[in-house]
Amino acid sequence: MSHAQTLSLIDVRLDRYDQGGAPVRLLDIDSLVIPAGLKIGIAGPSGAGKTTLLDISSGLLTPTTGRVTWGDNQISGLRAGADALWRRLTLGFIFQDFHLLPELSVLDNILLPAWFGSFRAPIELQGRARELASRLRLPDMDRPAGVLSRGEQQRVAIARALLHDAALIIADEPTANLDAVNGAEIINLLITEAERRKATLLVATHDAALLARLDQVIHLKDGRIGVVP
Amino acid sequence: MNPFPILLADLRSMRFSAVFMIILIGIAVAIGVAVGAQERALRQASSRAAADFPLLVGAPSSQTQLVLTTVYLQPEALPLMEGGILNALLRDPGVADAAPLAYGDVVMGYPVIGTTTGFVTRWGRVAPTEGRIFEKEGEAVVGADVALPIGQSIRPSHAIAGHQSMPGVQDEEEDNRRHATRIVIVGRLPATNSPWDRAILIPVESVWETHGLGDGHAAGVGDGRIGPPFADTAPGLPAIVVKPRSVAAAYQLRAQYRRNGTMALFPAEVLTSLYQTVGDIRDLLMVAAAANNILVLLAIMLLLVTLAMLRRKRYAVLRALGATRTYIYLAVWLTSSTLVAAGCILGVALGWGGAVWLSALITARTGLTLQPTPGLEEALMCLSMIVIGGLMSLVVAVFATRGSVVQCLRS
Repeated sequence: MSHAQTLSLIDVRLDRYDQGGAPVRLLDIDSLVIPAGLKIGIAGPSGAGKTTLLDISSGLLTPTTGRVTWGDNQISGLRAGADALWRRLTLGFIFQDFHLLPELSVLDNILLPAWFGSFRAPIELQGRARELASRLRLPDMDRPAGVLSRGEQQRVAIARALLHDAALIIADEPTANLDAVNGAEIINLLITEAERRKATLLVATHDAALLARLDQVIHLKDGRIGVVP
Repeated sequence: MNPFPILLADLRSMRFSAVFMIILIGIAVAIGVAVGAQERALRQASSRAAADFPLLVGAPSSQTQLVLTTVYLQPEALPLMEGGILNALLRDPGVADAAPLAYGDVVMGYPVIGTTTGFVTRWGRVAPTEGRIFEKEGEAVVGADVALPIGQSIRPSHAIAGHQSMPGVQDEEEDNRRHATRIVIVGRLPATNSPWDRAILIPVESVWETHGLGDGHAAGVGDGRIGPPFADTAPGLPAIVVKPRSVAAAYQLRAQYRRNGTMALFPAEVLTSLYQTVGDIRDLLMVAAAANNILVLLAIMLLLVTLAMLRRKRYAVLRALGATRTYIYLAVWLTSSTLVAAGCILGVALGWGGAVWLSALITARTGLTLQPTPGLEEALMCLSMIVIGGLMSLVVAVFATRGSVVQCLRS
């Protein structure tokens, strides 16, 4: 069981300084507080700042001003190394392009985050990887990830994100590269797995079917939060 | 942390270029290893072969040629000195033993050399592995590699200077130059790993008599007897090998026989100057090989940097998943260093193999047994390649982890 906490972004601004021009404000959020275990969708047109919001929430980007916190931990401004540890143990990242290592097996891809911290994956993580694989219908764990179908690849990516029992699952367009059938399956898996561990789910997506399954949808436009229904 | 899964994945992802890089480094390293190992083997084998020839006396001509012909049996016509010198040497108190070496005949490509039992047994150091030493004219002892059985009767032919036919192969030309003398093989010597393993040794008296020069002994003194003392009027000789009693005597003899129509030398001194020349060539080749290695390494590193840049997105994903920069750094460095190290190890194997192959060719041609082994120098060269490759790999790793995760993810 994960220990989700409140994710809050307070007075977060992100500016990009281009050579010779005035700074461009990519993100401008006065206050966004997401209670533990909530499933949040981030919608909006391309370039609205959806991915930027995810990157800031995951600590990959440091805001120009403002604070990002996870419970009592300030994510923005964690030391190098500490931020990696936080991401490894707390965060589950799911990408639009899956980003598996095609040369490694399904099992090794799922176990990948374990090797960032220890030489041998602990027995319990190996057990969890197998359990995740069977729950996500990936029976042949020795197949190289490169030969899997897109739907299977995204299932492996979800299993990889959940290896450390993530409390915060961040998914960037997880269904954009999938057909309707596979997309629907991935939506089910994401919702089920997030609910199973009461994890906070943050999904940037255009997929109406996915947005419909979430607790709340944040609409972003030009880096600002619009309507919160 | 365990970077090996990433190393494995990276190696698989660039398997063709990885194999190509390993082979390229391997060939570059092999050249240096082969040159070094070959030169050392040549030096060791040639000096070992010269050990049985402490001091050589011959008619004044090329010192190098005297050594090449006596020690390595290169067929060349040496000028003759007076036969009486042999007797004079045998009487010299500084001489433990002296033996004539009379060349000029051949049987099936094997050189026939007239000498005394003293030299055949290498002054008592070796005994025949088969049969016995010759005891009278018309008998022969053969070297370990002579493919003729004991008891075989042979008829030597006149050899041609500079012409070397395949040992053990009957040259049709030989028939036309065959002497009337028949010689029976009575013994075989142990291997000396030198060209002398292909020689047929007969009493020097037989050589003289074959050529109608008498037996070299004073008239009427012990007919049919072989070995010293010889007559002061004995026929001319191309070379005499002398075993001095002491180092002082050796130097004294060398000085003494450098005048009055003779020249004396230690084969070692001739070899030393030859080694110097060969060593200079080797040094030049080694420098070229080292420069070559550095160039190859640089090119490989450029390729590795390019490949690492292509995989920057992959590394950014790993960092987004919680890998530290150090982890990626280590994985990329290990991958790159592994390729260099694998290339170097392949290079040692290739170089050694090449030297063994080259040595086999030289052995077949000359009878000099070469045993090349990579030495400390090659090991150091290989090690320094690995170290330099490791240092260069640090740069590759820097390129792989440069930039922020977000930049790389969106690239």
